[in-house]
Parts: sequence; structure tokens; C-alpha cells
Amino acid sequence: MQFATSTRAASALALTGVTYTYPPANAPALREVSLELPTGEFALLAGRSASGKSTLLRAACGLVPHFHGGEIDGRIAVAGIDAIATGPGELAAVVGYVAQDPETQVVSTTVAAEIELPLEMRGDQPSSRARAVEEVALALAIPHLLDRAVDTLSGGELQRVALAAALVTRPRLVLLDEPTSQLDPVAGDELIWLLRRLNEEWGVTILLAEHRLERCLAAADRVIAMTSGSISFDGAPRAFLTWAQSTDDALETPAAKLFSLCGIEPLPTGVRDARRTLSSADPFDGGESDPLRTACTFSAIRPRPAPSFPPKKLREEGVRLPSNPALDVQDVWVELTGGESPRDVLKGVDLRVERGERVALMGRNGAGKSTLLRTAAGLNEPVRGRATTSAGIALLTQNPSDYLVRERVGDELPGDAGLAALRMVGLEHAIDADPRDLSGGERQRLALAIALAGRIEGEELPGLVALDEPTRGMDRARKGDLVDLVGDLAGRGAGVLVATHDVEFAAAFAERVVLLGDGVVIADGPAPEVLSGGWYFATEVARVLDLPGVVTPEQGAEALGPAGEFAFMRTGGLKKANSPSEGRG
Amino acid sequence: MRSPFAYTPRPGPLQAASPSAAVVYLGSLTAVAFLYSSPIVLAATGIALVLAGRLAGARTAVRAALWMGLTLALLIVFVNALVVSRGETVLARLGEWPMLGRVDVTAEAIAAGAVLGLRAAVVMVAFAVYSACVDPDRVLRALRPLAGRSALTATLVSRLVPVAAADAARLRDAARLRGPGAAPVGRAPLARRLLAGSLDRAVDVAATLELRGYSLDVLRSSPGATFFGSQGTKRRFTRGAHGRRSRYDRRFYAIGLVVLVVAIVGKALGADAFSEYPAAEIGTGAATFTVAAVVAVSGFAPLRRRPRHTRSALPDRRTASNSLPAGGGI
Repeated sequence: MQFATSTRAASALALTGVTYTYPPANAPALREVSLELPTGEFALLAGRSASGKSTLLRAACGLVPHFHGGEIDGRIAVAGIDAIATGPGELAAVVGYVAQDPETQVVSTTVAAEIELPLEMRGDQPSSRARAVEEVALALAIPHLLDRAVDTLSGGELQRVALAAALVTRPRLVLLDEPTSQLDPVAGDELIWLLRRLNEEWGVTILLAEHRLERCLAAADRVIAMTSGSISFDGAPRAFLTWAQSTDDALETPAAKLFSLCGIEPLPTGVRDARRTLSSADPFDGGESDPLRTACTFSAIRPRPAPSFPPKKLREEGVRLPSNPALDVQDVWVELTGGESPRDVLKGVDLRVERGERVALMGRNGAGKSTLLRTAAGLNEPVRGRATTSAGIALLTQNPSDYLVRERVGDELPGDAGLAALRMVGLEHAIDADPRDLSGGERQRLALAIALAGRIEGEELPGLVALDEPTRGMDRARKGDLVDLVGDLAGRGAGVLVATHDVEFAAAFAERVVLLGDGVVIADGPAPEVLSGGWYFATEVARVLDLPGVVTPEQGAEALGPAGEFAFMRTGGLKKANSPSEGRG
Repeated sequence: MRSPFAYTPRPGPLQAASPSAAVVYLGSLTAVAFLYSSPIVLAATGIALVLAGRLAGARTAVRAALWMGLTLALLIVFVNALVVSRGETVLARLGEWPMLGRVDVTAEAIAAGAVLGLRAAVVMVAFAVYSACVDPDRVLRALRPLAGRSALTATLVSRLVPVAAADAARLRDAARLRGPGAAPVGRAPLARRLLAGSLDRAVDVAATLELRGYSLDVLRSSPGATFFGSQGTKRRFTRGAHGRRSRYDRRFYAIGLVVLVVAIVGKALGADAFSEYPAAEIGTGAATFTVAAVVAVSGFAPLRRRPRHTRSALPDRRTASNSLPAGGGI
């Protein structure tokens, strides 16, 4: 690799006074950005939506300005190469880029061809290509995928293939734009730790833009926060948390929020850090730890089975269920044909959602969440069983833009029924706007209004409102707005069923969580219990405290009490002190 | 949902063969379908292609192509029967029709339509087998040094066609999910939205190609030619690491050439004896059956040969065991 060898001494990325404006825009997307990333560093790029994270990554790989056009000032050097004078093709030797949506960055038919393509473009010999493909496949644990067609892969597998194609040239710098946004918690965690391993073992410099900071802060050496196109913070993860606490609480992680609510210092960068701090902290003797107590504090961490109350079981137990549920799914089996062989995606699912209930539907990629929602909406036909809704269903699928086909909001939603739907989602002021000019959150609400239009009677909504992965690419502030919207819909009498991978979002909005595994309901119970009873499908606070029913920072702070009130029990893990004697163990 | 015609990697001989070998083999059968009008030879070609597709594991593609092809064939028969009144055997006189004039349905017009329909169905099955069994990446890689820009266009199209199909399915679902109070979505707005989405997708794919180094000088080199790459190093553009020559190549080249030669010689010897009008006559000479037999047997080309064991190489059943050899070595 000629470039990498000749520029080994240079830093992986250096931006000096970079200001960039996209062609149709008036305001710059990057403002006077100066940044240096030494080789071998793992840096996390944080910030709200539209703060300039993606533009910075695109500038670092040469797409800005070479592909997007626009005006640029300043200097960008990638491994010593001038990125403004050199195109992305030449930069491909030293930088790899992985975008948010893996679907848009795959150009070949098979996995092997996709990974091999950059080497072929570079003119490498077949033997060296074969070895590089084999090695990167082994490093990313995907050798079994090499002969698969890319359109048969799951989202997580496709993301790994895109990462492999970015790594196969052994670049010095890898840029990733929200790579976990479409992944379930298991695949997301796996990807982050894979990046950390590549960073440590291969010395690859990583610049990762993410919204779910709790997932990757512990792996990072450094955090760069962006606000309105400028760098507003650049420092160590722990210092970032202190900065976020005072500047922008939307960037605070749940564990950090828990600690700040309890007044515990220092703020934790991850679960391990938080548990270490809690286990070593002793509010009664100024911090000296008792080894026995430390060993015992978190000894009781075991995934507990969540309580289950599927409707079939309740019926068998003679429990009287309300006669008019928003959704009643009875023994539903759905078979889908993907390629040559059909397979059962849902295998005898039983589920009831009552009106006014807020339910999160969770599970791994491919567990059957979307299929269940589509079956409830009549898009998929069950081969056995039935799914009925008592007063209709409004389903918002994963991509709200699919609902927007006209150039004026009022043309999408004409008449009184349209106006009522716009009022319902608070968008009546945007009736003359072009849907493409709306923000991401507004587009989502408009799509929901389109699904609701004509199904609203007076103030009454359809029996069930279902949302499929509504938080993809959302920052925490916009997720808060969505939590409010879900609460509003449920308050008006609709059952709300949301398929999501986002455990923190589920903890914020849901009163009940249904966990699907390979087409089967494997847990169904109150959200605090389901989200505190496992490891992957558990919130950060639940993983830190391991207290039954404690999943949000507020619940955690209530359970712990202010510093000085919590106590460590030698046999029962962490418990809130009820009496002085209990408090000292 | 995947298209039934989408390429699926499998360990079969047809999938392992180089694109040129697969094209020669399937192309020779397609050429026979265009060269011949004899229903016997056309049917044999169809049998060969169905056999080849099934042996290559492309059952779904073959089934879908047969379904579409036979539907199209019936349509052709129906239209031909209405618009062509030639032939001696009148089956029905339907009187004067607007636009068509006098309509007499003849057995000969139906036979001629059936031959045309059969040819269309056979060609569709050939393309279905090609689409499901020949890796488009390898085809594009073979084309790239010859015509870089065309290969780039083909790359974009080959990637964007299935993506556009998935987008269209999603848009149709979203249209079905609109509330009754929302403006209905006709085909025109849906097509406009699909086009706009496809353009966005094309930009994304083009950006990815750019990041993979598609714009480098390497692309414009001819196969095997020595050239100086962008960093001034001496390099050679060669076959892909995953596109090595297959041990089945010679089989497909040979069978393709045999089919083509037999078809041409047979044609010269009158094997394609078939006339529709005034009375349908099908040649049933030895030449016709010979060509049909050779073509039909060629459908076994993708058959995988099982490993051959000589009797002496096999252990004696009575004494064979899974125990370690003496001394413990493996």
C-alpha cells in the first residue's frame, strides 16, 4: 500500500479551519472546523441531528467537496494527503467509509465480490486479493457469508460486509456514520467491540459518529462534540460527560444521568465503569472499600426470566380479558418466501394489546417484529391463526418518506379529514409546506397523519397505532418528542404498539414489553421488569444496578437515593437502606 | 422479497463455470430456439433448458419463467388466431369484427401462434436460468476492461433494479396503509416518487463506487495489459480472485459448440421441416429427431459428476473401521 507507507508519520486526519457549504444551501454545514486525529485513536463524534457530523465524515473521505460540490475553505489532510486536491478514489487507499444505511453502500451481487472490489479497482494481483478477502472475512467473523448473495443478508450481516469492504485495503482511517442505527442491541454491541479490537490489534484509527452514546462511549479514547457545524467539545469521554451535563442534556448517557441525579462522581463512561465506581464507593467511610462487600455487591447479576402473561395462558387460567382489545393475535403463523425456500417467520404468536396501552415490541433483527405489525395491518396473510383489530389500525412503516408522494402537505391530506389528522399530530401550520422541507421528526408526524386520516372520529383515534422502528437516526431530543406523541396517542384511547431496537426509548415510553425471538414470544410483561431482567435487552441503568424493575435514571436515582443513603448488602446485591441497621449490613 | 430470477450462489457446475462458458452453453440453446420453427426441436430445447435449470438448482426461476412464458404463449396463440385468417382448416367463423375485419379461426393460425409462443417461452426460460445461475459480478468484471463506462452503467443497473423493485414494493405498501381521508395515490405520483427515489439511490451507489476507487486509471486498462497505476507502480489487470477458471468450463464450451454445430448442420439437412400454411406440416425425419435428441441431452450439462472410486481404492466393508491406523498417526 503505497500511500500508507509513505505517509506513516502523518496524523490520520487533520482539518484546519474548514468551512463548507452545500451547493443549494446558504448557511455552512461546517464552520471553521479544526481537528487533528493521531494514528491509532478511537474517536467518537457526538452531536444532535444536523450538527454537521455526517458532513465532517464526508469531508474526511473526499466525498465533500468532490462528489457533493459546494464551496469549501481550509485544509483537509488524510494521512498526509491533501483531501481537497485529491479525489475520493485516490483517498480510498488510506480511508474507509461506512455509511448509516448498508443497503446504499453495496454495489455487487455476492459478498466476496463486494469485499474484493476496492482491491480490484486498485489493481492488486488475484493472489493478494484472495488473501486480503480471506483475512478481513476472518477478522470480522464472516467467512461463512463470502458466497452469499448480498440481498439475502440481514441488516447486521450487511453492515459487517460494508465494514469489510472498507477495511480490506487496510486503511489507516475508518469513518463510520451511525453504523448501529439499524442494528439490534446484540449486533450493535458486537460491532462496537469489533471496532475496538480492530483499533487495538490493527492500529486502525476510528472516527465514529453515533447518537446512542451509551453504547460506544466506553470504547472511545476521545469524544468530539459538534453543534451547528462547529466543534463545541473535544476531550476525554469522562470530561465530555461533565460538559454534556452542563451544556446539553440530550448528549448525556443514562448512567451518567443516574450518577448526576445521585450526586456521585466521577461520571461513568459505561456499565463497567459505573459498577466499578459503585462497588468501590463507600458513603460511610469516605471511599475505602471492603473487599468482601465489593465482591458481593454485584454478585447477584443473573438474567432473570421476565414474567409472562400471553393471552392464551391467561385464557387457560380463566382470567377474564376485556372484550374489545385494540389488537388480538391468536396462534398466528406467517410464512414468507425469500429466494428459494419459504420459512416460518412467525410461529404461533399470541398477543393482545388493549386500547390506551403502550407496548414495545422488541427482539433481534429478523425475529419477526415487522412481520407481526404487517400481519396486524393486513399486509401479510397468516397461514394459520388470525389477527384482528377492533377499531382499525394505522401503521407507520420504517421509512416515513414512503408515505410522501406529493409536493404540498395539503395535497397529501385534503378536506376536513386531512385537516383533523394534521391537527392530531400538530402540523396544521405546515399545510402549504413542501414535505421535503420539513424536518425528520415533522416528516414522521406527517406520515402518521396520512395513516390516521379518515380514521379519526371526533377525538377518537383508530384502535391501534403501530410504529415500526421510528427512532432510526434520531437524536435523544427528537426521541423525547416521540415519547410525548406516543403518550398523547395512548391518552386519546389508541393502543400503541412500537417495534424498536432502542431499549432506552422503550423504557421511556412503554408500560409493557413483548420480546420476540425467532418468531416466538419469549417474554411479555411490564416494561420495568422485562428491561431489567436481561443483559442485551436491558437499559444501561438496569445493567449498572441490576435491581428488579429499575430501568430509567430517575428510577435508579429513586432506588439509590442521594449519596449516603444507599447501602451495600453482603448477600443481596445493592439495596436501598430502609433502616440504619440494614444500611450498614 | 427476492425476485425468483435473482442470482443465488450455489456450488453447481453452471454457477462455478466462467461467465463466457455459461453464456456459450445457454446462448447455443437460445440460438437453436431462434433458428428452428420445428415444434419438436423447440420442445426439445425447452426440455433441455428446464433440465439444466433444475440440475443447477434454479427451480424457482424455471417455474416462474414457465408460468410467465406459457401465459405469454397463450396470449400469442389467442391473438394470432384472431388476426390471421390463413389456413385450410377453419374451426370457427366469427363474422366481421371492428378493426379486424372478417375473423376466421383456423387450426393453422393456432399452430403458428403456438410455435411463436413456444419459442417465446423457451427464450424466457433460457434467460431465467442465466439470471439465476450466472454471477453478474463476474460478467461485469469480464466486461470492465473492455468497456469501463458500459460496465459502470451495467453495475449501476444491476444493483438498482432489485433495489428499485424493493422500493416499489415498499411504496405500494405505504399507499395501501394510507388512511381513507388521505389523498389516494395513483400510478403517476407513485411512479414519480419511485423515480425520484431511484435517482437518490443511484447517487448513493455512485458515491460508494467512487469510494471504492472506481474512478482510478486501473479501470481503463485492457485485460492482461501492463500499465502504470495511479501511484506509478507497475501493475497488471487480471481475472478476479473469486473468478478463477472452473474445471467445468471445457464441458460447457464443448456442449455449446456441439449443439450449435448440430443445429446448423441439421438445419442445412432439413431438420427444421415445418410449415404453417396453408396446412400445418411437421417434419418427422431422422434429422429432426437427431437434432432434438442432441439438444435435449445437452440439458444434462450442469449435472455434477460424483466422485469416482475404484474398487481397489475402497476399503473392504468387512474390515473397514474408523479406528486409527497402527502407530496412531492420522
